[in-house]
Formats: sequence, C-alpha cells, structure tokens
Amino acid sequence: MKDKLKGLYSTHYKKLFFLPLVLLLLGIIILANNYLTNGDIIDKDVSLKGGTIATIYTSQEFSTLQEQLAVQFPGKEFVVQYLTEFSTGVSLGVVVEVSDIEPDALHAALEEITGLALTPENYSVEFIGGSLGESFYQQMLVAILLAFLFMAIVVFVTFRSPVPSFAVVFAAFADMVCTVAFLSLFGMQFSTAGIAAVLLLVGYSIDTDILLTTNMLRRNEAGLFEGVYRSMKTGLTMTAAAFAVMGVGYFVSSSLVIKQMFLIIIVGLCFDVIMTYGMNAGLLFWYLKKKRGSVE
Amino acid sequence: MNKFLTLRVWILLIALVLAVIAISPNPWAEGIEIVSIDPSSDAAQNGLSVGQILVSIGDQEITSLQDVSDTLVFFAYPAQDIVVKTTDEDVTYSVTNDLGFIVDENLTVIASKVNVTLGSTLLSINGEEVTNYTLFKDVYDTLIPTRMIRIETDEGLFAYLSREVLDITVGEVQKTHLVFGLDFTGGTRVLLQPVSTEEITDDDITMLIDVLGNRLNVYGLSDIQIRSAQDWAGNKFVLVELAGVTQKEVQDLISQQGKFEAKVGDTVVFEGGKESIPYVCRNDGTCSGVRSCDATASGYQCTFQFSITLSQDGAETFANATQSLDVVPAENGQKYLSKTIDFYLDGQLVDSLQIASSLKGQATTSIVISGPGFGETQSAALEDATINMNKLQTILITGSLPFDLQIVKLDSITSVLGEDFLRNVLLVAVLSFVAVSLVIFLRYRKIKIIFPILFTLASEVILILGFAAAVGWNLDMVAIAGILAAIGTGVDDQIVIIDQALSGTATSNWQQRLKRAFFIIFAAYATTVAAMIPLWNAGAGLIRGFAVTTIVGVTIGVFITRPAFATIIEKMGLQDEEK
Repeated sequence: MKDKLKGLYSTHYKKLFFLPLVLLLLGIIILANNYLTNGDIIDKDVSLKGGTIATIYTSQEFSTLQEQLAVQFPGKEFVVQYLTEFSTGVSLGVVVEVSDIEPDALHAALEEITGLALTPENYSVEFIGGSLGESFYQQMLVAILLAFLFMAIVVFVTFRSPVPSFAVVFAAFADMVCTVAFLSLFGMQFSTAGIAAVLLLVGYSIDTDILLTTNMLRRNEAGLFEGVYRSMKTGLTMTAAAFAVMGVGYFVSSSLVIKQMFLIIIVGLCFDVIMTYGMNAGLLFWYLKKKRGSVE
Repeated sequence: MNKFLTLRVWILLIALVLAVIAISPNPWAEGIEIVSIDPSSDAAQNGLSVGQILVSIGDQEITSLQDVSDTLVFFAYPAQDIVVKTTDEDVTYSVTNDLGFIVDENLTVIASKVNVTLGSTLLSINGEEVTNYTLFKDVYDTLIPTRMIRIETDEGLFAYLSREVLDITVGEVQKTHLVFGLDFTGGTRVLLQPVSTEEITDDDITMLIDVLGNRLNVYGLSDIQIRSAQDWAGNKFVLVELAGVTQKEVQDLISQQGKFEAKVGDTVVFEGGKESIPYVCRNDGTCSGVRSCDATASGYQCTFQFSITLSQDGAETFANATQSLDVVPAENGQKYLSKTIDFYLDGQLVDSLQIASSLKGQATTSIVISGPGFGETQSAALEDATINMNKLQTILITGSLPFDLQIVKLDSITSVLGEDFLRNVLLVAVLSFVAVSLVIFLRYRKIKIIFPILFTLASEVILILGFAAAVGWNLDMVAIAGILAAIGTGVDDQIVIIDQALSGTATSNWQQRLKRAFFIIFAAYATTVAAMIPLWNAGAGLIRGFAVTTIVGVTIGVFITRPAFATIIEKMGLQDEEK
C-alpha cells in the first residue's frame, strides 16, 4: 500500500491534481449552470429568501401534507420535511417551508389539513421578510469573501512563501466550491446557518493542508514522500475523528439547522481529502522538486 | 499521578474549577424565586431580595408561577373616587393603592402622577380638611389603610405593613447559571426594522428601545429582552425576545408606532403620552371597561370606554376648539355640540364621540376615550374590545414610537419541547465522544490514550459553558452547533499532538516535536478564527452565537486544554513504548 502510494507520488504527481482539477471544473460548471437557470449559484431556503417555516410537533404522520398544501395554495412551492427520533424512529413532527405565505394563512391551512389544534404547545413558526432574507444572503456572501481573504492572509503569513501558500488557499477554495456544487446537485436548499457551516469548512479543511505543507517543507527531496505519507496518516485520522463527531451530530440531532450544518461539513471533509492529498500534495511535490533542483 | 501535575495541567484544573463555579449546577433546585424587585418598595425594605425562593404569600402556598399571579390579585385595593382640594384647584379622580401625589410636611405637593399641580398646597381630601401633616396621614390611612403582608421565603418569614402592590417578578429556580436561547426556552422573537426616510441614529434606537420596553412593561409583560442589532449594510434593527407570549396583540403593540391623536374638527386637541395625558384609568371597573355590546349585520360589536386626565394645556386646547361650536339637539333629548371628538391611532379613525353641550368652551381635564371591538359572537367581540382597550391604554400611557416599525422577522417557538431539545443535544455530545474514542482506538490500538482525549474534550465543553455562564451568553441552537464544531477541531489538534509525540526520532527531541505540533495548531486556529469573524454582524447578528462559541471553543483549546493535553501525553511516555 505504502509502496504503491510512493510510486504514485514520486512519478505521477502531476496526474494527482488532475482529478481535483476536474472536480473543481465540474463544480464551477454546476454553480454556473445554477446561476444561469435560477439566477443564483445556490438554491436558497426560506431563511435566505424570505417566507415561513412552520413546525408541527406531533407523533401523527401526515404523508400527503405536501400535496394537500399544494391544492390549498396553487403555484406555491412547499418543502416538507419529517423529524424522527434517532433511537426509536418515532415521528417527532413535520416541518413545512414556503415562500410568500404569511404565518397566519399557513397556520389556518395546516390546522384544516391536519385537523390538529396548533397552539404554542405543539407549533413553532418562523417568518422572515423577503427583503431581510435577501439582505442576509448578500451579507453571507460578503462574509464568505471576507473569511476567505482573512484565511488567505493567515496562510501567507504562516508560510511566507507564495507557492505553498497558494496551494493551501487553492485547495480550500476548491473544497468549498465542490462541496456547495455537490450538495446543490442533490437539491439542498442552503440556510443562513448552512452558509456559516461553509465558512467553518474553511477552518476544518485547512488544518490538514497546513499539516501537509509543514511536513513537506522541512524535508529534503528524498524524504518528500515520507512527509506526505506521515501527514496523510495523521490527517486521515483527524478527518475520521471529525467525521465521527459530525456524523453523530447529523444522524442523532433532531434539529434541521444542525443537520444541514453537519451534512455540509461531512461532504466538505470528503472533498478535503481529495483536495489535500491530490491537489495540494501534487502541487507541492512539483514545486519542491523543481525548487530543490532534483533529478528524477 | 503527581507526575502529571505540571503548571499547564494546574492551569487547566483551575480553569475547570472556575468554569464549574460559573455554571454552578444545582440539579435538585426547585421552586419559584424572586427574579427582580423594586429596591425602593416596602417588600425590599423589609428584607425580600432577589434570589429568595418563595414559600408562601399570605395563606397561599407557592409552588408554581400561577400561584404567585393568583395572590397578586389580592394586593390591589378596590378603586374609589376621591376629591382633592388644593390652593390651585379641585380635582376628582380614582385611586386604588396610592393617592397619586406626595406632600411634604407643609402639605405642599412635591410629586404627582395625577392632575394635582406641583407646588400647590393641599386643603382637603373628600371634604375632610387637612391642616397639618399628621391629619393628612390619618386621612390617607383611613382612605387606603395599610395592611399586614406576610411572605415566607427560604430565608424566613417577612411580615410588614404596606399598602403597596407586591411589585416583584418571579421565575422558576434555575438549575444552572446557563442562559438558554429561545430555541430551547420557547417564546417569541421579533426583529423590527425602523421605517424612516431620514437616517436613523443610535440615539433613535436607544429611544425606541426605551419606549418599547416601557410599553411591554405597562402591558404587563416582564420577561422581555430588547437589544439593538446591526448589519454590515448599515441597517439598524431592534430585536425583541419575549418568553412565552405569542398573542397577536403583542405583535401589534411592538410594531405599532402608536401615534394617538384626538381631534375636534381639524384641531388636534391632545396626543398620547405622559405630557398631555398624565393619567389613564385602567384595571378599574369604575372608569374603564367594555360598556355595551350590540348585534350588527356581520356579528357583534362591543364598545369600550375609559377615562383619562388631560394636562392643563390639553384642557385649554379643548376649550378653544369647542368654544365656537354650535349646540344641536339630538333625538334622545340630549344636547350635543355640532362636531364630534375623533380618536385616531396611526392615522386610522378608532372612534368618534358626541360632545355634551355642557362641555362647550370648558377647560375640562376629564375626558372619556372609546373604541370598538368586533367578533362573530358576543364573547369574541367582548374579548376583542378588551384587547383593543388594553392596547390603547398602553399606547396612551407610553406615547408613540419615534417612527414606524416593520416586522421583518417573527419567530414563535414552542416552549414545551425545550427539555427534549436539550436531551437530544446531550445525546449528540455523548455519542460523539464515544465515536471519537472508537476512531482513536482503531487508529492507535491503545486504550489508555482515550482517557486524556475524553478528559480534554469534556474539559473543553465545560470551559465553553463556563464562559457562556460567566458572561451570560445566550445558548441557542447555532451556539450549540458551534460547541460541537469546536469539539471537532479539538480532536484534530489532539491527534496532531499524539502523532508528533509518537514520531520520536533520534534527531528531534520532545520540545522540538511539540513546537512543530503547536505551529500547525496555531496556524489552524488562526484560520478558523479568521473564517468566523465575518459572521459577527452578518444576518443582523442572529448567527453570532455560532461564531462566538466556535471562537471561544478553539481559543480555550489552544491556550488551556491542548498545552495540558500535550504535557499529559508527554508524561504518559507513549513515544518510548512505540520504539
């Protein structure tokens, strides 16, 4: 296994960033396609475009709720999600999201369809005005740009060397793009908290890159692969541990907010493995070999 | 064991002790405690204080919040009308628990919330002549006698004479000092944006928060949090959080500007607010209430009425406005003026009243306000009228907001499931600890390495919570997500430390390896903080909790728990075993 990897890294390191580059390109195409068809690079949920989120806490199941709501409000697009308890699979409730319908109207319709009296005891509702949602979205985009900029500055200050720094920042960028593109391909509607998770992904994905870069920079040419291999061992353990925390959070949590945040980080961690040990390691290999004037 | 107790470990242990003190967990606590008390009230003067747990008030044992509100009814005196004669004027008004004005020893009025003029000298109350201060005291005591209040708390029995309404707010005894957000406690969260063509200054927002807080207090809500919020675009918001309440009228009360005008013809006679209306009768059946209900074509309509006291200026404006009006006889034999007095709220006509001909040109200070309530049934109309009356009374007392407000976000979250949510969060935390242990064991095949990791993770959670308790940070759902995220990065850093420890070679000593590990840890720390900082103001600060707990978590990790963890790993001598 180790020898195979060694062969891959020492002779085919240029091929290593082929896969990440293809993924990045695909990601950009998906996001661009989203932009061209929907006017936005991602599909936003109600917290970012305005609307009403209602949660009914009940053990009853309403499997046809979506259809019935569509009949009551023709032309409106409802997202209906069901909450179940992790350990027992018992139904905990149902979450309805919709734009352009005021809480009062939705409340009335839900009472009629479910036949339940929806009181503050069993019913929560969140309403976000359309312009507020839009301004939240704009601000989250700015937040991502700023976070990325700050992160890049930190990385450049840390390594004080342009190419390795660029490799780290580029890997983080590719990770973000691919994660968001991948999830939007599967129809995820991003929430405010979801975008915050994309930001956190920057922090999560970058520690393996820093580990790799530190390990490789301090080694001579012959030891380069050893550096990659060691940081891979450590880095994959880190990813596995983070995966464990986030996986548990995703499956066990009964909060849709937390579920979305953790799903984003889980997918991000997967792409991070590809980006770190493909793109970042490949770039560094190439750069360090050149710099140290080695012979193949 | 002693070999582990280095300076770094001591720092961690001390921090843990401080955190636990800050959280001060007390799982067995129960009962109803005093949350706030007016320090100048008789109750406070006689020894009641915040934090005492109520045992009984009068004969009523206190075990629930309802018990307390049940007893508060008995503190109010029945309303009575009194006539106060001073050197300046005769005033008639209604009193319950206090006279509404204070005199000094020379019987000069030195403070007044009713229409008794400051600086005038008191002559008589209800016809009883008052010639000195002792006599005044006697009249006061006969009119509104003090009575014996007996309140028992966990700190003893307090008995004192008072005529005050018991002015305390109470809450269930907290099991910890942690403050949980609306996601867990339930309640209503309203984000308001001022609507104004002019630029809104911070002073405007401060004033707005004052009026809103006052309004909600006057309306009878105590558990309120109001704060300003801002985003990068320079938009200013006001965030109001209320425990439990979700009624529609509260939303109106918050968002309604409440500009009240009473007009005769086109002349504005008076507006809402303390300056022009020093006294509004409320909670008193003799001068406030729903007076009549009638069937209409589409259901029922009820009419409420309550009296107010006008300021002298307002009374004169009223006199001038009615001076030139004609007297017209009505069908029922009464005589009215040719124009009505019209009440407007935010430009909308609430009601119009005929003005009795006897008031023509009179500088009257006593005015009756009226308004309707509608409903499909009589009881619905009655309820609507009562709600409208309470709203209008509140608005008249507190005045209007400096500008119109728009509700841009409104969440009402159920309060009964908070414990379920918390239990779920706890389950997530415990299971993720187990999952991490499993990963670590599979990778290193050493049971004993799991203990320092779990100890460090648990320490981090306790320290984050301790910090939150110490600064009173509100733990909402995104803040909890931030704690879990910080745990995730914590594990990552520990793995870096372990791997550096295990990578012992002849050429590098422990110090060098540790330095390398911490170089990586600090770089990762700096990037995480850098990525989280932009979230501070994004989205009106509603996801600030996530950024804060994440940053606090990783900071605590880098400066307190990880150095200690590194020492523990060093002292365990893992690298020697590896060789």
